Amino acid sequence: MTPLCKTIRKDILQIAKETGHGHIPSCFSVVEVLCALYEVIRHDPKNPAWDKRDIFILSKGHASLALYCVLARFGYFDIAKVYSFGQFESSFGCHPDRFKIPGIEASTGSLGHGIGIAVGAALALKIKKENERRIYTVIGDGESNEGSVWEAVMVATNLKLDNLTVIYDNNMSHARGLQIPNPKDRFKAFGCHVSEANGHDLGALKREIRKKDRHVRVIIAHTKKGYGCQTMTKDHYAWHRRAPSDQEFEEFCKELG
Amino acid sequence: MRKQFRDTVLDIGKSDARIVMVFGDVSVYLFKDFQALYPSRFYNVGICENTLVSLGAGLSSQGFVPFIHTINPFITERSYEQIKLDLCYNGFGANILSCGASFDYAWDGATHHAYTDMAILRLLPETEIIQPGSRHELDVLLRSQYNNGKVTYFRLSDHPHEVDMPVKFGKAVVLKEGHPKVTVVTAGPILANVLEACRDLDVNIIYFHTIKPVDHAAISRFRHTKIVVVHDAFGLFEAVCEVPDISASYYGLPDKFCSWYGTLSDIRKKIGLDASAIREHVRRKIQES
Repeated sequence: MTPLCKTIRKDILQIAKETGHGHIPSCFSVVEVLCALYEVIRHDPKNPAWDKRDIFILSKGHASLALYCVLARFGYFDIAKVYSFGQFESSFGCHPDRFKIPGIEASTGSLGHGIGIAVGAALALKIKKENERRIYTVIGDGESNEGSVWEAVMVATNLKLDNLTVIYDNNMSHARGLQIPNPKDRFKAFGCHVSEANGHDLGALKREIRKKDRHVRVIIAHTKKGYGCQTMTKDHYAWHRRAPSDQEFEEFCKELG
Repeated sequence: MRKQFRDTVLDIGKSDARIVMVFGDVSVYLFKDFQALYPSRFYNVGICENTLVSLGAGLSSQGFVPFIHTINPFITERSYEQIKLDLCYNGFGANILSCGASFDYAWDGATHHAYTDMAILRLLPETEIIQPGSRHELDVLLRSQYNNGKVTYFRLSDHPHEVDMPVKFGKAVVLKEGHPKVTVVTAGPILANVLEACRDLDVNIIYFHTIKPVDHAAISRFRHTKIVVVHDAFGLFEAVCEVPDISASYYGLPDKFCSWYGTLSDIRKKIGLDASAIREHVRRKIQES
C-alpha cells in the first residue's frame, strides 16, 4: 500500500469515527482505483471546470467518503472540510452532490444511474469531436445487479463510445445476493474490451487506465472490501455502514501500519 | 401533433446546434429529414427508456439540449427515477416529449394507456408540465420553453383539437365567462368534447395547456363558482386544488383499469368522457349549484 493510499484510508477511518457515517469497506475497496484515476486523468484541482478535463463519475455514490478524501489529497479542498461529513448543512453528504463539491461531475447515490449519465457525456464529447477528452466511471459489482447498468453498457457499445472507460469494482458485494460470477465474459459479450487488474495495485491500475482502444473499455478491478484492515475484510458485512469506536479505530490504524 | 414536433424541431434545429434528438425507437421515420440534415444530432438509442433519460442527462451535462422522445407510460413511469435524479436533482435540463397520451393507443390496451404522467412529473421539483392540445400550442410552447435549462415535459397527443386561441406559457385561457355558478376547467385535446358539451350551457370555461406552473390567478378569478375539472388524465385537478379557498371536483377517469380496446372515442364513451356524458355531468352540477 502506498503512503498516499494509507493516508486516505486513515482519513476515511478518522472521519467515519468522528461523524458516525460512512460505508468504510466499500470506500476502502476503491482507494487505489480512485488514486490511480486522479493520477492519470486530465484534471486541474485549481480549475475543476477546466474545459479540457476528463470527466469522472462515481456511479457507486455510497463510496463518496473515499472520493472526498482523494479529492482533498489531490488538492481540490482541505481535508479538514470533509470532517463535516454527513452533518446538517455540510457540503459533504453520504452521497455526492455536484452543486456542493468541486470535482463532482454528477450527483449519484441511487445505484445504476451514474453509468448512464457517463454514457451520455461520452456521446456528447463524440458529437463535439473533443477526441482528447475521456469519460471514466466506477461502478460496483453489487450495483451491477441493476438492469440499467447493462442497458447503459449495451447503448455505449452500440454507439461505439471508445472514449468511455468503466471500472468495475469487483469487491464481492454481489456475493450474498444476485451473483455475477463471470463479469469479464459478460462485459465481453456486451461488446466491451475487457481487461483485469489487481484493484489494489496502483501501478497495474494506472497502466490499464492509460490504455485506449477502439471499444468501450472495462477494467475489472479485483478488490477487497475493507482492504488494508483484515478485521474489516473478514467481516465486511458487519461493517457495511458502521463507524468505528475509538478502540476499533486504533486497532484498524495498527492493521493499516 | 408529432408532425408539428418534427416541423418545429427542424426549424429551431437550423440555428441551434446544441439540440440533440434521443429517441426510443419511435417516430424515427418521421424524423428522417432531421436525421439526414444532422446525423450527429439524431440518435435512435433503442427501446431502453432508463438509459434514454440518463444519456440525455449526460448530453445536457456537456452543454447539449436533449429532446428525449418515446411512448408515454414507458418514459414517464418506467424512468421516473431517472427523470427525478439524473435530470431534476442534477439540474441537467432536458425536454421530454411523449406520444400516446391517455387512450391514443386505445387498441393496445391498458399496458399502453397513459394517465399518471402529468400527476407524477409535476411532483418533481422545478419541472414544467405542458399538455399542448393543438399543433399551434405545441409549436409556440416548444419554441418558448425548450432552451430554459429546466426539465420540461411535453405530452403529445395524436388527436389534437383545432380551437384557435392565444398561447403563452403558464397562462390559462378563459374561453367562456360571465356565469355565476359553475366553471368547467379542462386541458389538452379533450377540450373539443368539453366545448361541444357546454356549447349552450350556463358555465364558464377555462382551458390550460400548462399544467405546471398552473395559472393560479385564472382559477382564483372563479373561486366563487363551483369548479368542475373535466380531464382525461390526472394532474390538472391536483394542480387546481393547490389554489386556496376553492370548491373543485374531478370528472374524468375511474379508479380502475380501462381494460378495453377499440378507439379513443370508444374508450371516452365507455368512461363518460364523450360530449354527451360530459354535458350531462355539467348539467347536474348546474342544477345542484
